[in-house]
Amino acid sequence: MLLLECPWCGGRNASEFAYAGEPMPRPDPESAGPAEWRGYLYLRANRCGWTRERWYHRAGCRRFFEIERNTQTHELRPVGGGAGGPDE
Amino acid sequence: MSEPNAGAPAPVARGPIRPPGPTRVEAGWEAGGQRRDGPVVLVDHTPLAKIQVKAAYDGEAARILGVPFGRAVRGGVGDLVVGSGPGEWLALGPPGTQHALRGRLDGALAPAAARELVTTVDLTHGRAMMRLTGARAAEVLTMLCAIDLDDRRTPDGTAFRSLVAHLATDVIRDDRDGMPSYLLHCETSSGQYLFDCVVDAGREFGLVVSGP
Repeated sequence: MLLLECPWCGGRNASEFAYAGEPMPRPDPESAGPAEWRGYLYLRANRCGWTRERWYHRAGCRRFFEIERNTQTHELRPVGGGAGGPDE
Repeated sequence: MSEPNAGAPAPVARGPIRPPGPTRVEAGWEAGGQRRDGPVVLVDHTPLAKIQVKAAYDGEAARILGVPFGRAVRGGVGDLVVGSGPGEWLALGPPGTQHALRGRLDGALAPAAARELVTTVDLTHGRAMMRLTGARAAEVLTMLCAIDLDDRRTPDGTAFRSLVAHLATDVIRDDRDGMPSYLLHCETSSGQYLFDCVVDAGREFGLVVSGP
């Protein structure tokens, strides 16, 4: 079981959450070309090790938040600044 | 299905949960079943007035309501005001009072609405609600929900939203006469399913379905 630490609700089973992917800056619609949009929509780093992820607590507070997860060990750590939480 | 009583008023609304016995009409709602007692009692409270408030979680409306996320407080604008999410509240009142309750909320929140986005929505007919009461009510819920329901973690006045029987459900600890009691609040379409799951889970604890 993967226990995710929601900044609002505390530790909850990962089945309560929806994975929302790696946070990526949205391209500027005025200047972005097809290649940039393709990269934004489809290409992910998918790295082995520490990665920053967005999750949606769909069965709880219904908020998006960011967390760092080690994709090799499933170790979790909060993102500095409480992104998505009450302290952001 | 029970026969309607001759001469009795026709119900305006029916909840999603099948009444456990002969029905009557209360505040326009079809209510059913006699009051029964048992070690753990489950009652359908869908007709309760339910008004959802949304606003900034740390704004003026939050200060007026005075109920933080994760807590439920009796008194104030509604019979029970629940901090059901960050920037989201649920105010409950007796059956048939939803229009008055929403009016009271709009009035109380008017100073905040002048400065921030505040919405009040009547969810009375869109949600199901049931109350599980009894000394072993927490044990029944534990079979369906992964949250720690120990008194030290979820005392009276605690509210949270989590999966109950794999269904996103608001759980509100609202003890009655010193007896542990939980209100369960979910979408109308899932009401009968959740009710049946609680009945199944409570069978070994002597759960009894009662009328309101």
